[in-house]
Amino acid sequence: MMTSKMWVTMGPQHPFSHGLWTLKVKIDGEVITDAIPIIGYLHRGWEKECENRTYPQIIPMADRLCYSASMTWSHVYVMAVEEALGIEVPERAQYLRVVADEICRIQSHLMWLAAMGTDLGNLTVFLWSLREREMFLDLFVKLCGQRLTTNYPRIGGVRNDMPYLFERDCMRVVDLFEKRLWDIIALMDDSAIFLSRMQGVGRISRKEAANMGLTGPGMRGCGVNFDVRRDDPYEVYDLLDFEVPVHKDGDAYARYAVRIEEMFQSCEIIRQAMAQMPDGPVRIKVPRNVPAGSHFARIEDPRGEALMHLISDGTDKPYRLKVRSPIFVNVSGAKRMVLGTRMADVPAIMGTIDMCLGETDR
Amino acid sequence: MAIKYMDKYPKNVALRGWILKPFLTTFKNMIKTTIHRPVTIMYPYEKEWIPDNYRGRPGLVFEKCVGCGICERMCPTTCIELVEVEDEALGKVKRPQVNVGRCMMCGYCAEYCPVEAMTVTPDYELAGYTREDLIYDPYQLKWENTTIGMEVHLEEHLPSNLAKGVTDKPTAFYEVDRPKLIGEKCISCNRCAKTCPVDAIEMIVVGENAKGKPIKHPKIDDSKCVFCEQCIVICPKDALEINEVL
Repeated sequence: MMTSKMWVTMGPQHPFSHGLWTLKVKIDGEVITDAIPIIGYLHRGWEKECENRTYPQIIPMADRLCYSASMTWSHVYVMAVEEALGIEVPERAQYLRVVADEICRIQSHLMWLAAMGTDLGNLTVFLWSLREREMFLDLFVKLCGQRLTTNYPRIGGVRNDMPYLFERDCMRVVDLFEKRLWDIIALMDDSAIFLSRMQGVGRISRKEAANMGLTGPGMRGCGVNFDVRRDDPYEVYDLLDFEVPVHKDGDAYARYAVRIEEMFQSCEIIRQAMAQMPDGPVRIKVPRNVPAGSHFARIEDPRGEALMHLISDGTDKPYRLKVRSPIFVNVSGAKRMVLGTRMADVPAIMGTIDMCLGETDR
Repeated sequence: MAIKYMDKYPKNVALRGWILKPFLTTFKNMIKTTIHRPVTIMYPYEKEWIPDNYRGRPGLVFEKCVGCGICERMCPTTCIELVEVEDEALGKVKRPQVNVGRCMMCGYCAEYCPVEAMTVTPDYELAGYTREDLIYDPYQLKWENTTIGMEVHLEEHLPSNLAKGVTDKPTAFYEVDRPKLIGEKCISCNRCAKTCPVDAIEMIVVGENAKGKPIKHPKIDDSKCVFCEQCIVICPKDALEINEVL
């Protein structure tokens, strides 16, 4: 039978796309033969705007790069500036940053899990994981005063010390969350519907992933054993004991499994960091002018490897601030992932990328 | 540490009754949530508990403020503007006015305020009917429930102190940094003394010039100075510069 091929535009208003991006797919009957991801609807000129701000003023702007990974983005920015200044952050501040980062990672993965649930038509998962996410957002409110735009790391430390009884709250939330996460897993992994939609679709091989430069759970789902936290440790991650989950298949289910395991490991990191936390100052005074030079810092974002490249010219404003967004690279694997699959599988596959357009388009 | 989840799954769903386990889990949860109190909060009538350090709109303690303008300079969105206010008790003074429509609630104005006049308030219901409603003048910025402890302190430690082993002396840039005078550039114009919001600058006669007129140089009172840098900004000959203590 002769079939004509057709281009179908999914997004930016299509319910499958979490954010403003378009995936143009070429379908032959129901099989996808080509795909083009189109981004750029949310370009705000973030990098250019930073050149008119002084160094402390960019921290709250870095929060706005991604609403669910605000802590890690402002963290990587202050790490880049500290690298340029050549200063050492007090140890307590480093532990506080690690705790805040891991809380951020858990709540970001829960946000992804909720979106994944709606993509697969499982609204119970959406409601449950957003309910657990509230607990972590409450921790953020206690720690830094706001739920999403945290504005917590500072150049040379953190904004404030832990509030009263924060350690107890953290332990309670983490313990309760681990118990409830098994419920969500029972809802997803024990369901034949979920497994049949996730296993074997969106496959990407280890070699292709390495060539495209995928990072984060997308890369670890293909069998690449690399994590910036373990292999290029920043802050105090080298003092903490945790596992990096790696899955051999490279399908949508592998990326799902890696993220779920990362949540368990993050809980473990929070427990250890809280137990090891030393006393002492949390913030040091830094000079306002950064010496001229070119420095970068990288960090394990919930979505992959975030990098900021700072070029300073000796004034109190950066000359250039380049953002390496993990999703900008990961979305280039979209074509390879959806090729050969059915039209109805596209939301399930693209959901596992964990799109965030704020950081992609900047 | 051990892998907790990935070595247990995926299990053979055919042996576990296809979708029986999810049904049981949801049923268990349904009974649990029926017994326990509901998660939903009926928003306008009841509100979520928020901590004291919640960062809502900025608030101002009118009497404490000195009009130094640090908040105006630190604001990332330039939503703060110093305006002249005719106050009954204090006379003509400069106080910050905040465009809340543009405010990003970062809390920098409260953090960097040297006299702790700016605070963060837990007020988050800020909708107005017009854009002019959102420009809060200094009197509107007052928050009557401001309590002690709502100020955010800027507690930095000097690296030189930490190197010496002193870890219990938190300080801030407005306590240690002071303007430094370069004597030969000064033209005795008196502008720094006029602009100083806390009257920390006094002009002192240091000598006579060739025509017999007195040469005046500013002398900065360290106990009064809040390091707002207004004298540095206004100096026509760049005779004052920042002296950073690290």
